[in-house]
Amino acid sequence: MIAAAVESLSAASTSGVLLDLSAVVMLLCAFAALGSKLFDRYVAYYALQSIVLAFAAAVVGDALGQIDLWVLAVATLLIKGIAIPLATRRFLLDRLELRRDVAVSTGLSTSLIIGAFLTAFAYLAIRPGTLPHALVASAVVPLSTAVILLGGLCMVVRRHTIAQLIGWLILENGVFLGAITLTATFPFIVEAGVFLDLVAAVLIMITFVSGLAERLATAAAPELMELRH
Amino acid sequence: MTALVVLVAALPLLGALAPIAGLRARGLGIAVAAGGIGGLAAAVAVAVQVERHGPIRALAGFVYVDSLGAFFALTIALVVTLAGVGSAAYLRVEEERGGLTVLQVRLYAIFFALFAGLMLASLETGNLGLLWVLIEASTLASAVLVGLEAKARSLEAAWKYIIISSFGVTMALVATLFLYYAASPLALSPNQRLTWPALFVHAHLLQHDSLRLAFLLAVIGYGTKVGLAPMHTWLPDAHSEAPSPASAMLSAALLNTGMYAIVRFQAIAIPELGRYTNHVLLVFGFASIVIGALFMVRRGNFKRLFAYSSVEHMGIISVALGFGGVLGIYGALLHTLNHAIGKCVLFLTSGELVQRWRTRESAGIVGALTAAPLVGGVLLLGSLAILGSPPFGLFLSELTIVRAGFRGSSPLAFLLLALLVLAFIAFARTTAAMATGEPGDAGGEAGGKQSVVAAVPLVAGMAALLLLGLWIPGGLNSLIMHSIGAIR
Repeated sequence: MIAAAVESLSAASTSGVLLDLSAVVMLLCAFAALGSKLFDRYVAYYALQSIVLAFAAAVVGDALGQIDLWVLAVATLLIKGIAIPLATRRFLLDRLELRRDVAVSTGLSTSLIIGAFLTAFAYLAIRPGTLPHALVASAVVPLSTAVILLGGLCMVVRRHTIAQLIGWLILENGVFLGAITLTATFPFIVEAGVFLDLVAAVLIMITFVSGLAERLATAAAPELMELRH
Repeated sequence: MTALVVLVAALPLLGALAPIAGLRARGLGIAVAAGGIGGLAAAVAVAVQVERHGPIRALAGFVYVDSLGAFFALTIALVVTLAGVGSAAYLRVEEERGGLTVLQVRLYAIFFALFAGLMLASLETGNLGLLWVLIEASTLASAVLVGLEAKARSLEAAWKYIIISSFGVTMALVATLFLYYAASPLALSPNQRLTWPALFVHAHLLQHDSLRLAFLLAVIGYGTKVGLAPMHTWLPDAHSEAPSPASAMLSAALLNTGMYAIVRFQAIAIPELGRYTNHVLLVFGFASIVIGALFMVRRGNFKRLFAYSSVEHMGIISVALGFGGVLGIYGALLHTLNHAIGKCVLFLTSGELVQRWRTRESAGIVGALTAAPLVGGVLLLGSLAILGSPPFGLFLSELTIVRAGFRGSSPLAFLLLALLVLAFIAFARTTAAMATGEPGDAGGEAGGKQSVVAAVPLVAGMAALLLLGLWIPGGLNSLIMHSIGAIR
């Protein structure tokens, strides 16, 4: 039954096209965040990416007739699309008066080129052929892999704690995109748990960043040299 | 029987409820310690049940305890008990001298209890997705402990810890997804495709490429938690900045929980991937032993020294799993238990040293044996034990692992021996210098009365290590043998 329903997600169907399109927009958001130097842009691109992710979850939920994916879509929209960006803006950016991110280790153009290579790598590594059963719109899996890699790249080239936090959130979005398509039927209890963990992680991270910022005036990771001896 | 399983994870949570009752450090310490002891008793009962009647299953595989799970739960519960009693001593001293505020003491009790309960729960589920959720949640709880003292250094360590392990654990989530995908050819319900016993039975039918990806990502992802090199970079910072009983929990419990997840993935991957899994574990294992041993050479912060020793020991366990065979896995499991007890004792000792000498630098401590005979003695004996000297348990387990290596007539066994010698010299020259010599002025202040509560876990742990070096109880032996059966 599910196998039949999953076919409606294949690349030719409307849902499949919408899903592919969402994945492409999410990748673009990741690139945009990678190529930006303003903190509120990072947050804005992350928010946009999360809203698109919520849309993608709704598309899959509709195509497969799965209610838990709808629940997930609403939760994604409310928490990742609205609550986390708002909290980051309010408790970190505004309170600490952060505007420009100067703590980058690699130039913007260089990191964009590396990002392009990573995207190409994702396509080469996860060819649709390596997936045994063409369960899903096949472009989504390499695209979500690319989003994961770009999120990781953001964490590596940015030294500021907030930029690293956003990088990790982008990476997490990539994982979720992979999760809803690759394994549309993932047990709901597990998905809910993953989501709860994410929320708790963000809360704790925001607390740490603001605590660190109060003590160090700047919470850029290169300033965090005390432990290096 | 399911109730018993729930108790293992629920009893340690007592400490999280105690602050609601408005208790202060003394009461909170008692609650945390009592929770640990209760958890240990339940874990022993579960192990006995599993030995008698086979695996316990309930709730469609969300609760599943076999010998392997029971063995790890027993190990972790023992650590929680020792560290819980250590926490009781730590909280009392810190409150008396005003090192922690009332809020911090309460936060400590809450998150220590959550950390313990979540870790124990993660060992009792058969669902790999839920395993991931619980391990990530326990990471978050422990991050609060690392940053508890809220100094710039400890917050920095906590940040590094949480961001690196979140990254790693997210990789483990991708691994879980790929495993789920690898199981898609099987005629299983969605839930069963994540349930370990169902996957284990059908392991030879899993889709090859996805499974390989899943195994590699799991080793890298959960390996970040285990502290396998080169993903170990968070470990020394977090271990040195956390309050000492929390360091003991990180080193002796959290790392083992990560290793447990890797063992589960390996067990599923072996039928399809064969020796490939062993090679991957050997590579990461030897990298960790080399990194750990080399960084131990540097003198300095002794809590960092203990932390690098944990990297080394996790490497040894990984190498043992890499050698494989009954002997290799037996050695790995026995070493897990021995290392957990030994490292827990050492970190609790380090807590005593820090509270007495007010320094984490090894150069600042001389003559611990004279100034504080019990702490100094445990430091010296505990170091010898952790380095694998007879008659302590680690000697036996390391010997088993080296034998497993020679049985495969692999030249790697010689390499392992050489690295163990290097680690011995590096570690012992620091701790021996701390324990011996004339204490001087600093030692006079550091003397003081020995608190009984703080002494209990040190003595009990050393006694257990000595016992395990001389005699392995029959029940433990059969538990380990059955665990091996659950893996291969």
